[in-house]
Amino acid sequence: MTSVARPAPASGRPPAYLQVAQLTKRFGSATVLHDLNLTVEKGEFVSLLGPSGCGKTTLLRLIAGLMRPETGRIVIADRELTRVPAHKRQVGVVFQNYALFPHLTVAENVAFGLTNQRRSRDEIKRRVGEALQLVRMAPFADRSVSALSGGQQQRIAVARAIVVEPAILLLDEPFSALDRKLRETMQIELRHILRDLGITSIFVTHDQDEALVMSDRIAVMNEGQIEHLGTPADIYTSPKSLFVLEFVGLSTRLGGTVVSSHGGEVEVETAFGRMRAPAQFRPGSPVVVAVRPEAISIGESEGDGRNVVRARLTDVVYLGAKTQLHLRGERSGDLIQAEIARLPPGGLPSGSELALTWRVEDTMVFPAPASAAS
Amino acid sequence: MATAARILSAIILALVLIFLIMPIAIVIPISFSPSTIFSFPPTGFSLRWYENIRNADGILRALWLSTQIAGLSTAISLLLGTLCAIAIVRGFIPGGRLVATFMTSPLMIPGLVLGIAMLQAAREIGLRDGYAALLLAHVVVTMPFIMRTVLASLALFDFAMVDAARMLGCSYPAALWRVLVPNILPGFVSGALFAFIVSFDNYPVSIFLVDVRTKTLPIQLLNQLEMSPDPTLAAVATIMVVLTILALLVCDRLVGLKRMAAV
Ligand SMILES: Nc1ncnc2c1ncn2[C@@H]1O[C@H](COP(=O)(O)OP(=O)(O)OP(=O)(O)O)[C@@H](O)[C@H]1O
Ligand SMILES: [Mg+2]
Repeated sequence: MTSVARPAPASGRPPAYLQVAQLTKRFGSATVLHDLNLTVEKGEFVSLLGPSGCGKTTLLRLIAGLMRPETGRIVIADRELTRVPAHKRQVGVVFQNYALFPHLTVAENVAFGLTNQRRSRDEIKRRVGEALQLVRMAPFADRSVSALSGGQQQRIAVARAIVVEPAILLLDEPFSALDRKLRETMQIELRHILRDLGITSIFVTHDQDEALVMSDRIAVMNEGQIEHLGTPADIYTSPKSLFVLEFVGLSTRLGGTVVSSHGGEVEVETAFGRMRAPAQFRPGSPVVVAVRPEAISIGESEGDGRNVVRARLTDVVYLGAKTQLHLRGERSGDLIQAEIARLPPGGLPSGSELALTWRVEDTMVFPAPASAAS
Repeated sequence: MATAARILSAIILALVLIFLIMPIAIVIPISFSPSTIFSFPPTGFSLRWYENIRNADGILRALWLSTQIAGLSTAISLLLGTLCAIAIVRGFIPGGRLVATFMTSPLMIPGLVLGIAMLQAAREIGLRDGYAALLLAHVVVTMPFIMRTVLASLALFDFAMVDAARMLGCSYPAALWRVLVPNILPGFVSGALFAFIVSFDNYPVSIFLVDVRTKTLPIQLLNQLEMSPDPTLAAVATIMVVLTILALLVCDRLVGLKRMAAV
């Protein structure tokens, strides 16, 4: 009766398709994943985004069963997998370097999983053909895999993983070996294939643009934990931590101290004057005030409900979609970098005196990182 | 200048090759000689020494024993050595590099020392059975050759392939069999070939472990040489040369000598 321990559905909703709960993984004395939780819905495409070494590959290998966690559990489609060996998990993996089998042809590589399932010869032939068709590699069926380009190998790796219809597909930086142009094509192509097949996928990347383009939701990882799990828009507009803010997208950030707090609004003293923001902090708390580039306008109505930074422009760095302004504060001489979406008509002469303004509602406040207490 | 150097190096190469091949080449005509003494060039043609192999006391038995010992010790070394090499390369055991050095160390120990040590060890553990002691000693002798080639092959092998096979439904042993084995086959074949040959013509270790009933071929041949030095020995040697060439041809067919030489 107690053998099948189902996790209780939170607030009456049915349990998520993939549930990773309280997962901890250590290598010797180093704890690589701390008490990590992640839920993914059926058919969802979730990206794991984070800096190198934060534990993305480790999390994938734990879900795949290629490693054992110290504590925690993994459930897919109500099936408790924590103790199930890798080959019985029905989890598909596309490895970073593809890990194709060089002693087999393209078709034999794709057929590998079906052969293990002892499917009939006819069925294998049909499904391999369909999978190759799907990744547009049908003409290459009888080639040796070592005679393929990087993009072609990548397609075969995807075909080999999806042909067995896995319960979930894990992809570990599958595009990292491809050049930028090919990568962008493959991103869209892969996304279409997986959406059409309705395959639940977890995709590891440390490229934020890739994550923003492809994902239903993004899990931003830092030091073995998920700091924010949300839609791309959610991650961008209301990041849960300073780390998430800095890791995804551009922003202008000012360090300061909370001077007053009332009615769900705080006032923060910074080197560029007082800023207001919708947040709750105790007066005296060291914080960082931040704003996304789109919210900033230059020299416009300073009226009520807006924060203002007055500074002298020292440099303009044009970055394509964004422009970076290097500014020096009038009073303190502090340097900041503001990122704005577009320059005002007529441009900005270096050395000019600027007023940057943005709405109080668009202002974000985070606790200052412990190390930057100075 | 450059041409002179090239001609000189060609001459040196030719001399070295002649020096290496000459003794083997001379044995072959001698084995077909009708005379009872080793004479070169031979004075006629006969197969009497090949017929004599059957009569010569114990040569066929020794040949069979040596083949068994070489085959079994190679197979055991191949299995244990490969599993051990995987454990070392994957870091399953602490101090793996040390273990690897230890397992290849019999290469650096003189055969005589190893032979005495093995004899002593067999006595200490009460291993009375001559055959078993001989086999065990030959596993020790062949292991380094297997370890060296398999470790070298594994260093180039991408273990993500094993993981990929597991995610496609293979248990770990099945994944090794279906993915690792085919990909390091050249290493296996060249290692096994070396190991077989090394065991087959090992003298210094075997001499301490043989008894009247278990004499390996090299020991039997030397006995034969002392008792009746006639071209029967040359006939046996010729057969071995032919068998070796055949083995090389089979290996070439199987995996290609180039790939074998690469590991
Ligand atoms: N087998 C292992 N033994 C010891 N430490 C390991 C092992 N595998 C990973 N680590 C450590 O665990 C941490 C997380 O590694 P992981 O490979 O999961 O990072 P990642 O997020 O995938 O990084 P990247 O973006 O560089 O691939 C790293 O500090 C790494 O050094
Ligand atoms: Mg990684």
